[in-house]
Amino acid sequence: METQEVTLHNELKRKSIFLRDFTTELYASGATTIRIEKNLGRIAESWHTKADFSVLPTCIVLNLWDEREERSYSVTGKIPADRINFNTVSDLSGLSWKIVEEGLDVTQATGIFRNILKKKRLNPWLVLVLVGLANASFCELFGGDLVSMLIVFIATIDGFFLKQKLPAKGIDYRVVIVLASCLSAVIACSGFVFGWGRTPEVALATSVLYFVPGIPFCNAVCDLLYGHYICCISRFLHAVMITVCLSLGLCIAFGLLNIQFL
Amino acid sequence: MELFFLIIKDGIFAAVAAIGFSSISNPSPRVFPLCALIAAAGHMTRYVLMNIYGFQLATGSMLGALVIGFLALPAAKMIKTPAECISFPALLPMVPGMYAYRTIQSLLHCLGSYSEPTFMHYLYLLRFNWMTCLVTIIAMVVGVMLPILLFQNYSFKVTK
Repeated sequence: METQEVTLHNELKRKSIFLRDFTTELYASGATTIRIEKNLGRIAESWHTKADFSVLPTCIVLNLWDEREERSYSVTGKIPADRINFNTVSDLSGLSWKIVEEGLDVTQATGIFRNILKKKRLNPWLVLVLVGLANASFCELFGGDLVSMLIVFIATIDGFFLKQKLPAKGIDYRVVIVLASCLSAVIACSGFVFGWGRTPEVALATSVLYFVPGIPFCNAVCDLLYGHYICCISRFLHAVMITVCLSLGLCIAFGLLNIQFL
Repeated sequence: MELFFLIIKDGIFAAVAAIGFSSISNPSPRVFPLCALIAAAGHMTRYVLMNIYGFQLATGSMLGALVIGFLALPAAKMIKTPAECISFPALLPMVPGMYAYRTIQSLLHCLGSYSEPTFMHYLYLLRFNWMTCLVTIIAMVVGVMLPILLFQNYSFKVTK
């Protein structure tokens, strides 16, 4: 009897730990809270358990009950640093359906989960070029001319390269954003300084826009619509922090080059 | 005819911007072509609404985002990926970046003002740009989320 009790306890524990890792990974990858809730509920139901979770700014608290609500297991998990990865969101959502449809147990699900996390991101050099082109296109959409687009392309490539490399040196993400946006803005100021192009202001304005935290803002509003207010505030403040840092970088660049707007 | 080319050009640049900005969030490679097409459709809708029908930025953006949201649902089903993974990056080219920039610019002017009328003028500009930026972003996200809210059962089963 006691052995059976221990087995049931261990089973609940393993399921809780899997669900905790699943939840924190989805959250850090940029999934909306409603999607996390749906995926988690789906898996828990297929394993004949009931799951409740709360997302706090830096961690999640998860409680898992057995079907008859006789035993429960609570775990907390630290949310990894913000690293948006929609491929992971997509794969983990797929995994939740796979668990339901194929009746996968915790061991099998954990194996697939680890394989998903091992997947490599897109080639950083490709991303660098794509972001440069994207920001140059953005410049055109705001009325920038060809010279401004070229300036923005170069400014973005330089700033984004810094953003890709500095975190690996252990530098805080806020400092990285200030430095990278300052570098981009300084390069984009060349339009003003040397009189290149007819739209130097558009070039300067769009040079740092690749930092605009569009996904966190979208997730925050989505959480607001579904009533996940704490997650909404947490994501919104994170997005505001990024915006403040990029604005600071821009202001430092204005100061360094003594740019006056008249 | 010239207007037609301007609309197409707007769509092409929006598509390039969507591909680039979406690459930061590391989507599945299958997402890129659909994201580009949907972003182009949304941006062209906003362009037409604002430049031909005289809609305001926030209203035009919301309707453009609505187009993105509705197109993202079948696209998500087609490639078995959450609709937000297509629609959020497709929305990014519509971010009112110039207003955000002008907000910072007005703030700096405000801080550097020595007379009350100048300060009040830049404070007005600061508020105008900040409010336009915020309202447009909220309108865009609400627009893109509406189809997901309306078809909840469908949208949460696309990865099945």
